[in-house]
Amino acid sequence: MSEPIKPDDIDAVIHERVRLAIVAALAVSPQLSFNELKEMLGLTDGNLSAHSRTLDEAGYIVVEKAFQGRRPHTTMRLTLKGRKAFQRYLETLRQIVDRGDQAMNDSS
Amino acid sequence: MDADEARDRMQEIQRIMERATLFTLLPGTAAVAGGLLVLAGCAASYAMFRSLDFADMLGISLGAQAAFCVMWFAIGVLGVLLEAVLTTRAAKRLGLVAPDRPARLAALSLTPSVAVAMVLTVKFLIPLEPRPEEVQYIVPVWMMLYGTGVYTAGLFSIRAPRVLGVAFILMGIVALLFFPGYGVVSAALSFGLLHVVFGLYVVHKQRQIAAP
Repeated sequence: MSEPIKPDDIDAVIHERVRLAIVAALAVSPQLSFNELKEMLGLTDGNLSAHSRTLDEAGYIVVEKAFQGRRPHTTMRLTLKGRKAFQRYLETLRQIVDRGDQAMNDSS
Repeated sequence: MDADEARDRMQEIQRIMERATLFTLLPGTAAVAGGLLVLAGCAASYAMFRSLDFADMLGISLGAQAAFCVMWFAIGVLGVLLEAVLTTRAAKRLGLVAPDRPARLAALSLTPSVAVAMVLTVKFLIPLEPRPEEVQYIVPVWMMLYGTGVYTAGLFSIRAPRVLGVAFILMGIVALLFFPGYGVVSAALSFGLLHVVFGLYVVHKQRQIAAP
């Protein structure tokens, strides 16, 4: 029988919905600007700032701040560590789904 | 976390990744190229019947009318091909998997309105003696229906395509109500210039994102 999935197996940094959305969006884009992410995910400035900071501190994304003329321009991209964490998280989800399906088949 | 929640999460992730992929692959250069093609088509149309009113093509020879229809059909086909080719190239360049589902969603959103526009065009042109006032409806009808399709396709992406769709619908309404006799100008401003401006905007935004 396979090992049960423990709470520790789920990455708490990525598990939060907004952070998961940020990582998922960055997983298919070389990088995205703060405004594009905000618009794409329907977030407020404060919400996106707070969650991107958490991801940055975990080393999952890189936040780069620059100026275009006088206007600040912030971009974000996924790091290798972030990509691996995202892939691990997806694998964990797949395992949970598979086990749920298996349990349902066994009981029927 | 139970299996249902995990399944919900996976679907949510898939939706977000599709939306992000669509943005990355928005074919800005295809929009510019398509817009330039339309502008060339408008110039050629004007050269054919020396008028800004598409209904005046009824006054040219049957051969010239056939050439006119073939030219616009070719412009439409070329525009779609350009979009497909440039989107696929952008996906390859970024190392992304071909965006099958987002592309299919966008195509499915556009198809019904384009099909309706084609049916109406045939209805306006097919009678033995087409009525000029009906021929004048063709461009505004295409503008409004194309705008509706683009708006719907934009529901799966970011705001920019939706804004483009609304702009087409509004311009179509104005063209239909106030300037039906200036179809060449309406087509040049909407399918031509608006596409060029939109394409340049998308290219500019993508360069901003890609800039180190």
